[in-house]
Amino acid sequence: MKNNKPSESSSNRRKFLKLGLISSATVLTGTSLFSNFVNEEKQTGSGEKMRVLTPEGKIVEVDASNINKYPEALITPAESRKGIPNRKFVMVIDLAKCKNARKCVEGCQNAHQLDYNEEFIKVQLIQDNKEADPYWFPKPCFHCDSPPCVTVCPTGATFKRDDNIVLVDAERCIGCKFCVTSCPYSARIFNWGHKDKFKNTTIPYSPETGVPATEGTIMKCDFCPDMLRQGKLPHCAQSCPMGVIYFGDINEDIVTNGEETVRFSKLIKERAGYRHLEHLGTKPNVYYLPAVNRQFPLERGFDVDEDIIERYKNVDYVKELKKQGKI
Amino acid sequence: MDINKRKRELVNEFSPMLEKTSIVSKLWIVALIAIILVGLYAFYLQLMNGHKITGMRDNVVWGIYIINFIFFVGISYSGAFITGVLHFFKGSWKHAIARIVKIITVLSLIIGPLFILLCIGRLDRLHYLFMYPRIQSPITWDIIAIMTDLIGCFIYLYLTFIPDFAILRDTENLKVPNWQKKVYKVLAIGYQDTASQRERLQKITEIMSVMIIAMAIVAYTVLAWIFSLTLQPGWNSTIFAPYFIIAGLYSGVGVIIISMYLIRKTFKLEKYIRKIHFIGAGIVLLVISILFGYFTFSEYFAKWFSHKTNDVELLDTLFSRYFWEFILANYIGVLVPIAILFFKKLRTIRSITFAAVIAVLGLWLNRYLIVIPTLETPYIPIQDTRPEFVFYTATWIEYALSFAGIAAFILFFKLIMKFVPIIPMSGIIDQERCEEKRKKGTTEQVQ
Amino acid sequence: MERNLLKYPFITSIVIVLFFSNATFAQENDVTNYRMGFNFSTTKQFDNSRLLEVSFIATNKKNRKDKVPVFNTEVKFYNVLNEEELLLGTVNTSKEGIAQLILPENQNYLTDDEGNINLIALFEGSDTLEAETAEIRVKDLHLELNLTEIDSVKTALVSAFTIDKLGEKIPAEDVEISFYIQAMLSKMIIEEGSISDGGYEFKFPTDIPGDVNDDLFVFAMVVDNDEYGNVTQSETAKWGIFHKHIMKEENSLWSAVAPLWMYTVLTIMLVGVWANYVYTIINLIKIKKEGDELKLKI
Repeated sequence: MKNNKPSESSSNRRKFLKLGLISSATVLTGTSLFSNFVNEEKQTGSGEKMRVLTPEGKIVEVDASNINKYPEALITPAESRKGIPNRKFVMVIDLAKCKNARKCVEGCQNAHQLDYNEEFIKVQLIQDNKEADPYWFPKPCFHCDSPPCVTVCPTGATFKRDDNIVLVDAERCIGCKFCVTSCPYSARIFNWGHKDKFKNTTIPYSPETGVPATEGTIMKCDFCPDMLRQGKLPHCAQSCPMGVIYFGDINEDIVTNGEETVRFSKLIKERAGYRHLEHLGTKPNVYYLPAVNRQFPLERGFDVDEDIIERYKNVDYVKELKKQGKI
Repeated sequence: MDINKRKRELVNEFSPMLEKTSIVSKLWIVALIAIILVGLYAFYLQLMNGHKITGMRDNVVWGIYIINFIFFVGISYSGAFITGVLHFFKGSWKHAIARIVKIITVLSLIIGPLFILLCIGRLDRLHYLFMYPRIQSPITWDIIAIMTDLIGCFIYLYLTFIPDFAILRDTENLKVPNWQKKVYKVLAIGYQDTASQRERLQKITEIMSVMIIAMAIVAYTVLAWIFSLTLQPGWNSTIFAPYFIIAGLYSGVGVIIISMYLIRKTFKLEKYIRKIHFIGAGIVLLVISILFGYFTFSEYFAKWFSHKTNDVELLDTLFSRYFWEFILANYIGVLVPIAILFFKKLRTIRSITFAAVIAVLGLWLNRYLIVIPTLETPYIPIQDTRPEFVFYTATWIEYALSFAGIAAFILFFKLIMKFVPIIPMSGIIDQERCEEKRKKGTTEQVQ
Repeated sequence: MERNLLKYPFITSIVIVLFFSNATFAQENDVTNYRMGFNFSTTKQFDNSRLLEVSFIATNKKNRKDKVPVFNTEVKFYNVLNEEELLLGTVNTSKEGIAQLILPENQNYLTDDEGNINLIALFEGSDTLEAETAEIRVKDLHLELNLTEIDSVKTALVSAFTIDKLGEKIPAEDVEISFYIQAMLSKMIIEEGSISDGGYEFKFPTDIPGDVNDDLFVFAMVVDNDEYGNVTQSETAKWGIFHKHIMKEENSLWSAVAPLWMYTVLTIMLVGVWANYVYTIINLIKIKKEGDELKLKI
């Protein structure tokens, strides 16, 4: 017995090691295969899913019912040229609170079925001059009151409504891209090639949702009129964890970020709200509150993927940080 | 002078151009068709795969196609302008080159808009431009201008063809296919060269000449306004319209000189296209190149001097990334032609043609430097990691289609020259008739 | 046991794979890692009905942001007094984990001597989930909101009282209350205060636009009070000073219809050019006619 035991234990050890190697290899392949399967499912589903706990104690995924109860009577392209009556929408972005969480970008991309690199609202890093600290600058479409994009469209595919919103009708757009060259804020993007998501026929197209997009046409931020018709904030405002984006109606003079509701005129007057590139005469409808008394240090915003930090490599501040080796 | 005898002489002189095609010419045609086929294949690929196989992306949304468009349309408008002005000159020299200029005008105006079509994302919706036009848009103005101008230049070209068609129709032993003879007959619309017919034709030609000059200027201005009525730095310039007119004339005269040289050489027309034509065109090119250099200098000097932030960014891009293109386009492209053309001793036919080539190439680069760098330096900095979204690099598709356009231009030119003699025979006869009358001392001036 | 496992390495490795594959998913699917949250609240609404609401949500112990609502579980609402139990209703939780029961104004409650209503929400539990229960005790607060002009000053008046066993009105004391205006997407707070001696009044702001008909929807809300729970009341007044931002309805560069002068200029230019073309073509036709006539003569 004594003699047998050591050899038995060493062979057991060997067997255990072999078991460990085999199982780790199969774990790796198995999970990668399985996760691919799960990810594929998420992409082919048309509605959003949410996780719930059943009475039997199992966590399952069901269709989220309340995400977008867009009216059953779809707003057709012809109807979408009239705005929501008696409203004049306006957005206020508080630069003092933005820390580049990018939840606004992601919320918008989810709602409009955009790819990773397609951004209706972009977060830029702007440094006004060498002495100033740069600030994070979320930039949606400004829905200007004197829109240069609408002026130059030869077919009237982009239009300004009475409720201040500038929409794109992708069924009228011929893709001449004149509007892209004439927007001074670079707010518009073009669909350059074939994409599978264009073939999605389950959802009828409305310029108010912009889904499904069409190849060879323009798309941009639309202030989510489908959300507004349901009395909800646009997706970017809903998704922001810091309450940076306020949205409301100038006629009511009230804007809200989901938690705070304030008088629009009071907010602009007290916090010195301004509009970007005012001197160009476009009369934008997105106001910015200056980045004073910031809630977060600027470095908090660099806590993102490296390829996103690479975007800002031309900003002087980022160059300094790179030189000092902090990024 | 016996007019009919003179006509027969001229036909004998020019009919070989219509009847025979040399081996070299045939090889050329084959080569041009090959280039065009490559271009058509590239177009097919672009239709199938979408615009993402070109170099254009979300910031630089306009690339080589638009540059070719404004280049060719510029040549056309300047051709129209020169044609109209030439009409009012008296002298035997204008006839030799008048038809060349008119043909260049019409052909460029056909090839140019084809490039715009390549840039449009949804070609299947082109009719929306006519169903839902917005007249506040500079593109709508441009479409109206191009269409109107194309029809006008076509009619004008045709007016000069009519007497020649009549002469060719009346020639008995012309060795051309029968269908061609029938076409001559139909297109000559019964022109018998009677005095009243001649007078009528000359009257409408004169009115059209005035109209062509006016249309060329208006249409050209509208094209420039597509750029200068936007807010972009580098485009929003008050002098863009006259700048474009001068730039178009620059390339137009250059292309005319090159065509004169090639046609003269190929068909051995030294008797008609003489050195005096080249010297005349060369002097015009000299004046225009001085004006062009002046306008270009005004544009960039004002930007540099007043150093607005966006202008400085644009100039930085021009002088760093596009440094050699800038030197070629705006220094060499202007100074070399001026140097060659300024000195009498240097003005030979060869050197003038060389100056014209430099001028045309320099101008194309100048158009490139107007369109692309502005789109690469927008007001809101491009913060993107994908290099194709930050800088523009044209792909082979765009180059293939550009060369196909040039090849189509040359091919159509060759085919027209086989249809109608490149020197207007009726023009020569009119000129000789005029000189005779002057010799006879009558005051009746037939232009 | 160990020996047996090691004898069949392939099968055991599959077992280990399954075990690991569950754990390597970013999202948890194991109930034991979640803490159950069973929150019970009550709101007296402006039509004097009472809303009982349970929010049944499980939170991941390791990741507090991972919240999973409990769906389709049965929640029973009771009104208890000493030993008496009155079942008020049974509701299943929604996909958001919310179970709501609305009791009408004339619902009779069992109240104790002090006037408190004892309410219990109960989840009886299942094979895998433990039973949950929550209890709140509220007094029925009557809240009235009046918007009137007193001495031509627009005032908002609130009176708050409870009714005791004898039917007497007892004024509420020391109750914090907030006032809101309804906006398109949310409510904006205009006043905060504390009810004393059964009432609260304040001067109503006069610069609020309201909706297109000058209507203002005012809400008075008591939130999370220890004695009374949530109480809301609302009232409408035509005190808005709506002035529509009237953008001059002139035709501009970006409107659907262009300014008139553009049409005029374009028409004049085009008519001029095309008239010339027509004239040219007419003359060409005349030339042809003359040629044909000559031919006939010959």
